Amino acid sequence: MGAEVKTMIRKGSSLRERLYLIEIFVGMATTFRHFLRNLLDNSKLYVRHYPEVEPEIPVRWRGRHRLTSHDDGTVKCVACFMCQTNCPANCIMIEAEERLDGKAEKMPKRFTIDLLECIYCGYCVEACPVDAIRMDSGIYSVTDNNRESFVLGIQELLETPGAFSEEDYKKGGA
Amino acid sequence: MSLLDYVMIAIRVAFSAFVPLCFIAVCVWMERRGAGFFQDRAGPNRANIYGFRAAGLVQNLADAAKLIFKEDMVSGHIKHKFYFILAPIIVFFTSLVSFAVVPFADTLVLGGKSYIMQGIPIDIGILWFFAFAGFAVYGIILAGWSSTNKYGILGGLRSAAQVISYEIPMALAIISLLVVYGTVDLNEMAQFQGGLLFGFIPMWGVILQPVGVIIFIIAAFAETNRTPFDLAEGESEIVAGFHVEYSAMKFAVFFMGEYVAMFASSAIIITLYFGGYQIPWFSTDVLINYAKPVALLLMILLPIIMYYFTGWIKRSNVSHYPRENDPRVFEANVYIKCFWALVVVVEVLLLTLLFCESGGSMAHIFVTLLQVCTFLTKVTMMIFVYIWVRWTLPRFRYDLLQKLGWQTLLPLALLNILVTSALVVVFS
Repeated sequence: MGAEVKTMIRKGSSLRERLYLIEIFVGMATTFRHFLRNLLDNSKLYVRHYPEVEPEIPVRWRGRHRLTSHDDGTVKCVACFMCQTNCPANCIMIEAEERLDGKAEKMPKRFTIDLLECIYCGYCVEACPVDAIRMDSGIYSVTDNNRESFVLGIQELLETPGAFSEEDYKKGGA
Repeated sequence: MSLLDYVMIAIRVAFSAFVPLCFIAVCVWMERRGAGFFQDRAGPNRANIYGFRAAGLVQNLADAAKLIFKEDMVSGHIKHKFYFILAPIIVFFTSLVSFAVVPFADTLVLGGKSYIMQGIPIDIGILWFFAFAGFAVYGIILAGWSSTNKYGILGGLRSAAQVISYEIPMALAIISLLVVYGTVDLNEMAQFQGGLLFGFIPMWGVILQPVGVIIFIIAAFAETNRTPFDLAEGESEIVAGFHVEYSAMKFAVFFMGEYVAMFASSAIIITLYFGGYQIPWFSTDVLINYAKPVALLLMILLPIIMYYFTGWIKRSNVSHYPRENDPRVFEANVYIKCFWALVVVVEVLLLTLLFCESGGSMAHIFVTLLQVCTFLTKVTMMIFVYIWVRWTLPRFRYDLLQKLGWQTLLPLALLNILVTSALVVVFS
């Protein structure tokens, strides 16, 4: 069976199109309709008034990271280095220590994410075996004046709250 | 020469020097906000002074401040620094000077003396415009060459090739126009267009030369390096073309030169083909004789127009999201008060005209002012067409551009001369 050949009809060779002017006037009428509509009523513009009106962030949006914790407030992370190994941008840096409260064998002593390196791919979230790292904080705008403040430590990561309820996250996310 | 003579010279020179400069701000504003509206977005409307945005005009101040305070850099590899700096000056200067021969009102007669209303009182008119418009491209070529940059040189070469192929149809379109008007003086052309064809159609160039106007407008677009003919700065192919090495105020001078050229060529298109300063059906003599009824009509029309304009400001200048004590409503109210104050001032001036003797010098000045307003309105509309075309049409490919210039416009322009000359010989 031969491959199905589909002949594309080339546009622009008819007399009407080769005259340019008629098609130009048609195009200009189209753009003028847009102009007039927006000039007469500028509430019809297809834009969001951004800093005042913020976009709605869906559950699956990969925002700034956060570390989750157990119900008693202790960190869920077991310092298995899965996320650090998996990270294509090498932005995660973990230092482990022994865990003494019996929840696991190890826990992170340091857990830093360099947001300037991070490419927000979400591989760390997928790699995590204990659901300790998530990107559901809903923070999409990461801005500051100096480089140092983009390196998040374990404390900041733990303090960042999730923007969605547990059920919504389970439904929408992994 | 009396004091009045000196004042009139100062006024006309100041008009033709400063109005194009003021129109840079208007053009940039129209371009950016217009582009926004054509593309269903808002355009720059956030820059403000104490909350007053002036519909985005404040953005121009911010842009100017940015460009002035940026580092004015000349790269080390540029050998001919003098020519490098001269190039934007040539572009800007020639664009500005080419406007000097365009009449912005009919000759003003005061106390038996007549005052011509154009920057330089010479009668070579259109030839002056051609000389300087053609010269502007030297600035672009010089910029491309002295940049010592591949992209710059390519931009300059494209511009040179384009100007050669589009100056010819432009000049040929003008020749058939000269056959019709019988003069090169722009003021006489505008006066000619005040007449009526068959007693009811205004004798505008666009009606007498329908083919010529299309050729001329296309060539004028190419002449000012605007889309669809902005190959010289085709950013997708040659980065920024001839001004790729320019920064800060040197770039800004190129930028302003482009808008002044746009203003000047709009003014020329208006003067040649759309009646110049003439109001259709109201030639200068008619206006002077009926100055009082016209003033009365304006006094009635102005508040009506302002009423609808006020409504538009109120509808447009609000925040389109929930906001407590919306500062834009206050802003809109201030604008509305300013505009109504302006209307009151104009009404008072028109009222004083009504109590003056008819046909006197007041009437002459009133007619001149009316024609200046008409001229500027028409030019603004033409500039809008420039912007409208820019945000509608894509750029021509280089071979198509040359094909259009040599194989379509040139024969068409020659045919137009032939037909026009034959018709002029038959009917006169």
